Amino acid sequence: MTAVPEGWVVCRYCRMTHPPAGPSCPSCGAALDVRTAVSRSGWTEQPPIRDMARIQIGASRVQIEGTQVPVADFALVGEEWIYFSHHVLLRCDPSVRLTNTRLSGGWNRMLAGLPLVMLEARGPGQIALSDNHAGELVALPLLPGQQMWTREHRFLAATGNVSYTWQQTDVWYVTGSGDDRETHYPLGQFGDVFTAQQTPGLLLLHSPGNTFLRDLGPGETILVQPGALLYRDISVGMHLHLEYPHGPQRISWLSSYRQRSLWLRLIGPGRVAVSSVFGHTSHEAVRSSSSATQHQW
Amino acid sequence: MERIECQWCRLQNEPGTASCTTCGAPLDHANLVSDSGWREAPRLRDMTEFRFSNSVVQVEGELVPVAEIALAAGDAVYFEHHVLLWKDEATPVAAMQTQGGMKRVLGGMPFVLTLGYGPGRVAFSRDSPGELVVLPMHPGMELDAREHAFLLASHTVGYSFVRIQGLANVLHGGNGMYLDRFVTTGAPGLLMLHGYGDVFERWLRPGEKIMVEPGAFLYKDASVTMQAVQLPVKTGLLRRGMYLAEMTGPGRVGIQSMYVHHHAG
Repeated sequence: MTAVPEGWVVCRYCRMTHPPAGPSCPSCGAALDVRTAVSRSGWTEQPPIRDMARIQIGASRVQIEGTQVPVADFALVGEEWIYFSHHVLLRCDPSVRLTNTRLSGGWNRMLAGLPLVMLEARGPGQIALSDNHAGELVALPLLPGQQMWTREHRFLAATGNVSYTWQQTDVWYVTGSGDDRETHYPLGQFGDVFTAQQTPGLLLLHSPGNTFLRDLGPGETILVQPGALLYRDISVGMHLHLEYPHGPQRISWLSSYRQRSLWLRLIGPGRVAVSSVFGHTSHEAVRSSSSATQHQW
Repeated sequence: MERIECQWCRLQNEPGTASCTTCGAPLDHANLVSDSGWREAPRLRDMTEFRFSNSVVQVEGELVPVAEIALAAGDAVYFEHHVLLWKDEATPVAAMQTQGGMKRVLGGMPFVLTLGYGPGRVAFSRDSPGELVVLPMHPGMELDAREHAFLLASHTVGYSFVRIQGLANVLHGGNGMYLDRFVTTGAPGLLMLHGYGDVFERWLRPGEKIMVEPGAFLYKDASVTMQAVQLPVKTGLLRRGMYLAEMTGPGRVGIQSMYVHHHAG
């Protein structure tokens, strides 16, 4: 861990250090003049980025506008650039240069419903992005070499010095049989992995609800709804966990197995973030699954 | 004491007023303007009241806001029937025939608008998260809104529609075939739109241009021109083209941050 210069403060949310100036963190935009909201169970609520808060990235800047369906308005300076999926483009100055970036693994990405092509936007000029859904923007400044795993379809934009790849989640389960057999990917089939290169970078995510953070100690575990996971440090492990409730005798074996809870088990060390909007998993009996732990009450 | 000018609608208010009596914008908050020059439409406080003619509008709720109107005798508002949330049983309503019926049907626009008139109470909601954009219209104004964006207008506001010119604009512009046009002549009026998500407005100087996602376009002064422009990028497996709407001043442009995504051509 790097030493914090005297008089500087560490942002409780993005963990970046900066001089104590202004009501919001210059690295992630989080409000610093409000009391940290921590639940009794240890989840820290990420405060929504204030309307019109600014985040500095290199010589460029991004301003967060709006609170219901927030907009990230980038002022790109010189040759600095960002990339994003084309469907989040809200508006731009005519001076901004837009080009395509083709991604590898196109066929697999298309099957998984992921964007095949990213757009690159180079300055100078203003360009604004919106995920087009109600929720919060989460800004994750990354130090050189720092990696972050994020759930698919949560990515809004990243600065050009943040590399992007994707990997199988290896989290799946099968319900039904015969013609009704169905494979479910509660986290999606692929996860996005972002890595800051030689200089600090910025990753912007869209969280469809409120966002909560937690630091897991080495070996510490927590069960979360699979669809709720927003991002995690690459050091955090994950797999499915099936939990079968204890029931009265009159509930048949099959019924009790249909009442199961399907969790994502996260294993520290590292930081995890969940969103309060997550979708639901199937209630059908699980026939087979990726690597999973079980518990019968 | 000096009167307070509303930063949104520019009308004067009595000293000590917390919100504009003409548009409901909070008067004790400065305008929120981004570094790039976009002004955020004022988020109306829950239960804010404002007036038009002799009637009173109250805005209720903040996530999916409702506009409730106490219509005075002699006042009326018109609207698309599916935005009605509730009304007093005794509040009279009538069908308001629009011109260009067959064209409107083909364009997916409402064939018949509904007219509610006073005295009585009636409430409206667009049934989706967003904000109400209150646009008091001074005499002699012309304003275009994307189809299905308007919540209601007072009876002194004339209503027509304009066909979007140019096949490329219709096919790639993301705004359908028509825009709603609202015009005031001798008397002022009130126009209320529903913007999905957050709403931002910008004034363009003569000849100034801005590119916006066509689905995000919400309203513009009639003096602002709109042209679909193809970008030098391709998207998707089929390498489809991508279009943005180029808006050219002079005049104001309003956009919404949650939008119907247009189809790339």
